[in-house]
Amino acid sequence: MKKIILVLFCAAALWGFGDGAIYWAPHGCDNGKATAAKHGSHGKGESAMFALMNQEGNASAHLILPDLSEKPLTFKAATVNLPKPSMGGYYAMVAEGNEMNMTYSAVRYLSLQGRPAKVSPTKLTALPKTDLEIIPDPLHREHDRYTASKSYRFLLHFKGKPLINTTVTLETHDTPVQTYTSDKTGAFLITLPNDFKNVKVGRSENKPSEFLLSTQYRFGEHLYKSTLTMPYSLNPNDFWQSQSYGAITIFIGFLVGLVFYRRIKKGAKNG
Amino acid sequence: MDKLLTLTALRRVVQLTAFVFFVYGAMIFTTFYTGDKLTQNLPALSCAYDMKGGDFCALIPLQHQMDHRVSTLFTQNAGAMEALMGTLITVGTVAVLILILNKAFCGWLCPLGFFQETITMIGTKLGLTQLISLNRETINKVRPIKWFIFLFLVLIFPLLTGIGFLGHEWGNPYCSICPSRIMTTAMTGDMSQIYLSQANNGYLILSLLADLLFGLMIALALFVRQPFCRICPMLPLQTLFKKIGLLRLVKKGSSSCESCGNCVKACPMDIYEIQDSAENKNITHSDCTLCGRCIEFCPHDGVMNFKYGPLTLLSSSKEGFKKRTKIDKWWKG
Repeated sequence: MKKIILVLFCAAALWGFGDGAIYWAPHGCDNGKATAAKHGSHGKGESAMFALMNQEGNASAHLILPDLSEKPLTFKAATVNLPKPSMGGYYAMVAEGNEMNMTYSAVRYLSLQGRPAKVSPTKLTALPKTDLEIIPDPLHREHDRYTASKSYRFLLHFKGKPLINTTVTLETHDTPVQTYTSDKTGAFLITLPNDFKNVKVGRSENKPSEFLLSTQYRFGEHLYKSTLTMPYSLNPNDFWQSQSYGAITIFIGFLVGLVFYRRIKKGAKNG
Repeated sequence: MDKLLTLTALRRVVQLTAFVFFVYGAMIFTTFYTGDKLTQNLPALSCAYDMKGGDFCALIPLQHQMDHRVSTLFTQNAGAMEALMGTLITVGTVAVLILILNKAFCGWLCPLGFFQETITMIGTKLGLTQLISLNRETINKVRPIKWFIFLFLVLIFPLLTGIGFLGHEWGNPYCSICPSRIMTTAMTGDMSQIYLSQANNGYLILSLLADLLFGLMIALALFVRQPFCRICPMLPLQTLFKKIGLLRLVKKGSSSCESCGNCVKACPMDIYEIQDSAENKNITHSDCTLCGRCIEFCPHDGVMNFKYGPLTLLSSSKEGFKKRTKIDKWWKG
């Protein structure tokens, strides 16, 4: 019962996000965090429980491991609990479902610690996971994170081939929807908005937010919908780190060096 | 053309190639991801913050292991293997790499070393008065700094952070002040590492030090050879294994060496000890970067030698000395 209330609460909080398409969202309940803590390889305060938002009908889910093997995920009231990671690297959570003349899918990537899988993450992103797919090109790097005010490239693929001139929308909780169009290689570049509010000093003091990329493509009578959700963090350079002061400090360091030079030159002249 | 065929010319080609690989290698040779880097434990200052680099240095994993793994020996009563395995892998990888190339990682492959040498070349061409050698007194004062940085910023502070005695900013304090972090990222067009942090006093001190050190290093490199290398914590790490390195500097000089001091003048690290008499002795000093300039500028046949295992790769000679001196005069105008 507690779980259902939490899912309803989560759904209410994210109402309107995703425009009806299914997408993955972290489930910030105590159970999810406790499981993540037991696993020991999720980031601090992260959850091992995820909710498939806007879930309808016959959606199924599976986890693709860093070595590209698959594990089915079982839904419990629209949520899944990740198993203890057996290896380190990127994991992909994939959900897919069908309705009459429509296929919908959602993907989310996770980077978990553990014994390295020795398979390049490029193979995980390149592996076709759904018919219509938004692919990070590349993902954020291990130990890094998607960060506000930075630009990231993605690819749009349909049945493994680049999908050109197709609209993709970017949604965050506090910025109006932005649209992008894939180019002739199926690529598009987004800039994550700096839309964090009530910011506290220190990266760990601020929780990450979520961004959602969604797209759809009609092939004959059939409609395909796909989403990609990932967390993103604020950029310290937008808040408590000053780049202009940094550049000035480097210049001061340079001037100090030149003072040394003058002294040495003077010493050389005086023999 | 023949006059340009010297060890230094070869070294410049290798340095430039290594610079391209270590700063931009992910674009051609490896991939963007950490897991795909060449070793992830390089004994040279190629920075992990550079997203386009082909490999990164051993100091960042060492600091993280101190903070997150070794500290669990004290905080969680973790087993020795669990706590130390990562560090052993890093140190073991460094040992294998040192066995192959010894300290030549500094003189031949380090991107920051090449960056400083390039600035020195610019300073020479700008006609700035060059400080040929630092005096012994200054050298003796500077030498312990690298050990202090290695022990405290690479090992002790990160360990104390993991145990809980220090704030998070001291988890990787060496990376926070390393000029290679600023240089390599800036070289790829990423200026995000140039900043002054006001998060707390610790972050402020570290970011202030980093920026001042970077500016100072550039200015000093215009007239002093390899200013940062002299305090680089990579030297102590390499020194732990230099005895097993197959590549080494060997001096055979009891009767032939006249202690002219040319080798010391040529040495970019001002290692005065290399002019001391030695007979068939490995004189690879802790500060040595195996650049080979002492061999090029030694006027005596067979006194200074590069040896790889039992093989002699290069020996000093009168002819080589004449040629190198001529090129040096031409270069300095």
